[in-house]
Amino acid sequence: MNVVAMIMLSIGAAGFVYRLVRGPDLPDRVVGLDGLLSVIVIGIIVAAARSDNGSITIETVLVAVFVGFVGTAALARFIERRGN
Amino acid sequence: MDTFAEVLLILGSALAMIGGIGVVRFGDLFSRMHAAAKAPTLALILVAIGAAIEIGTLLAATTLALVVMLQLLSSPVGAHALSRASRRQLTIPVDDVDELTRDERSGA
Repeated sequence: MNVVAMIMLSIGAAGFVYRLVRGPDLPDRVVGLDGLLSVIVIGIIVAAARSDNGSITIETVLVAVFVGFVGTAALARFIERRGN
Repeated sequence: MDTFAEVLLILGSALAMIGGIGVVRFGDLFSRMHAAAKAPTLALILVAIGAAIEIGTLLAATTLALVVMLQLLSSPVGAHALSRASRRQLTIPVDDVDELTRDERSGA
């Protein structure tokens, strides 16, 4: 059953990667990057749910979520200052 | 209880997939943001509940609760900052009418 979840997450990640590569402007790429990190976080949690030491793996996710927020906020400030 | 956790994991993954499809299919930046900001947040909540049941330790449950809280706080703030920043740079008409620019020009 884990495989089904991972396949669906891969399709979603492919969508975000498409927007990250093709996005016409910088804000579209930021949307793609932010969503891709969210999908990666979800993937780590799904993988940790079935592993033996899941409660240790989960701690990685905490860092990933925080880094994603800081990255999005910094890029938003950058867009506001510089334009797309 | 184990099947319940599995269902939550798969439901969350499906929601993340729908978000990815929406980001590809939607036409303008704010529609894409709508798909990219909300769907993965609910997906994260569902997957976190599923994983907390599946792992079953208190440490994992508290960490996942912290992750969900952090995501619920940071996702709207990040999306709002990004939309506010890009709103200044590009004019994106919604339903063929840029209503915000029209309102700003009329001095409301």
